[in-house]
Amino acid sequence: MRWMNRTLLWSAVLWASAAGAQDRVSMNGSVDLRLVHATGDPSYLNGGLGALRFDPEHDGVRFGRAFLAPKWRLTDVVTVRAVIDAYGDHDRNPVDLSEFYLDVRPFPTSSIRWHARIGAFFMPVSLENRGIGWTDVYSITPSAVNTWLGEEFRTIGAEVEARWLGASSGYLGDVALVAAAYGWNDPAGALIAQRGFALTDRPSTLFGSLGKPPTRFYYEIDRKPGYYYGLSWRHHDRLEIRALRYDNHGDLGAATEAGGNAWRTRFSSLGARLEPSAYWTFIAQYLDGDTTEAADSPGEDQFHLGFHAAFALASLNWARERLTARYDDFHTHQLSGIYDLPNDDSGHSWTFAWLHECGDHWQFVAEWLRVASRFPPRLELGEPAQQVETQFQLAARYRFELAW
Amino acid sequence: MVVGRDGRGVDEVVVTAMPEGAGTESSPIPRPAIMDQKNLAFLPRVLVVATGTRVEFPNNDSVSHQVYSFSAAKRFQLPLYKGEVHPPVVFDRPGLVVLGCNIHDAMVGYIYVTGSPYFGTTAAGGDLQLKGLPAGDYRVTIWSPFIADAPTSLSRTVHVDGHGSASMRMQLSLALRALPEPKPRRRDWEY
Repeated sequence: MRWMNRTLLWSAVLWASAAGAQDRVSMNGSVDLRLVHATGDPSYLNGGLGALRFDPEHDGVRFGRAFLAPKWRLTDVVTVRAVIDAYGDHDRNPVDLSEFYLDVRPFPTSSIRWHARIGAFFMPVSLENRGIGWTDVYSITPSAVNTWLGEEFRTIGAEVEARWLGASSGYLGDVALVAAAYGWNDPAGALIAQRGFALTDRPSTLFGSLGKPPTRFYYEIDRKPGYYYGLSWRHHDRLEIRALRYDNHGDLGAATEAGGNAWRTRFSSLGARLEPSAYWTFIAQYLDGDTTEAADSPGEDQFHLGFHAAFALASLNWARERLTARYDDFHTHQLSGIYDLPNDDSGHSWTFAWLHECGDHWQFVAEWLRVASRFPPRLELGEPAQQVETQFQLAARYRFELAW
Repeated sequence: MVVGRDGRGVDEVVVTAMPEGAGTESSPIPRPAIMDQKNLAFLPRVLVVATGTRVEFPNNDSVSHQVYSFSAAKRFQLPLYKGEVHPPVVFDRPGLVVLGCNIHDAMVGYIYVTGSPYFGTTAAGGDLQLKGLPAGDYRVTIWSPFIADAPTSLSRTVHVDGHGSASMRMQLSLALRALPEPKPRRRDWEY
């Protein structure tokens, strides 16, 4: 991570020097406070194996999130972007970076538009986390699929996108191919193996950790880059389809001096968002993949876990209101490796949310979420394997934007 | 009047009337035109201008935009701006100019540059009245990014009589390319 520290330093210097340029520096920010009532298993964030962010020992008035998202346009086509997060949950870093990258968008000179990102950023896979810094714009808590993708994955590398702009050819839409190479994602897979799927709005930060004992996510073990490639298609500004294939290309023989093994995690994601009118949005996404750890050949010494998850969402937006309903279904299945209790997670959940916009700055959200899941390792903690957890949240969010 | 397959009037349709046998020269000093930007959209979405028109691109949005076109009829780029900082752009060749914003991919606008001296866009209800046409035959052509009919079916000859009046009703045979009503996207949405 030495290069990141160096880049951070240089950016701070350049940032200060650019502050005088008109409309070149802007900053989005948000502070989010919650009133929470939760039932069920202790959350994995607090040492349990519950699938939600809050639990009966950690509810009441809670700090949801505060973030600053500065954006500095170095030139007309090059922008430095960052998201600085605080979640107030005793992470090893109270304030941390979630994203930090260079965004390069040359003016198109033909119907192919190139776009590159270099640094650390979320991959283009979710259709519900449309807000700055992986914010779910349809409810507070994203789906199980996108909760996990926000927890264990960050592209720390370079991504290139080629987008065919259809408008110039009389087609009201566009098609994009994207590919990326990255490092520092070798631990990806450890969390879903140990905990199964979850539904939280608590993604990881670049240098922080999640859970107890704390799990860190972004460090290099095998010195081999991973990759992903994908396709997105926007049709008539009504339909967007995203497909992505991810493979961190982890070397199962590699380990840190402390004994941390590289995980090999691969998945495919396919999602669609339909907006048939100004009022309705429908989203569905499916994820399927596997993760492997320890021995580099199949057998008892190799931990191998398959997983798949999907969700369907309907959202109605009118005036200042938005109502959202979502159904999630998720499964993990241990295929090999010796464990007394198989790490097989199976569950489903319902989420209902009401979002109310109050002027340009305030947003109030009520969300009720119910997860029913079975995960045998809970027995080792003295909890039933089968759990029904609920979480009701009222969120008050203040958002702002500054520009210089 | 332009009506869709369902019998309802179609707005934002460009209509040009070219005197038969005339060249493609337009009036010597066309009036300047404005293509505004508001709420992450071009306003109007479709603008028709005479060849040689100077078009201003004020940005009255709350965010900055980077307007560009790579259309053969006019290639240009307006670096990041808000307000009225760039001089007008002269559209000196007839043809279709598709506008985009390099920051906001969903922003698409169209400038239809015509050599015809008589033109306009249909209002809500699909109506347009062109005034001041001398008697004679005119080639009337319609165009819209939302019309799916073949271009050859969108042009016909109309005779303007000695009283200076003629009417035309153009019925489309294919459904319009559907576009949702403009969606108010929050500025803190990434896409």
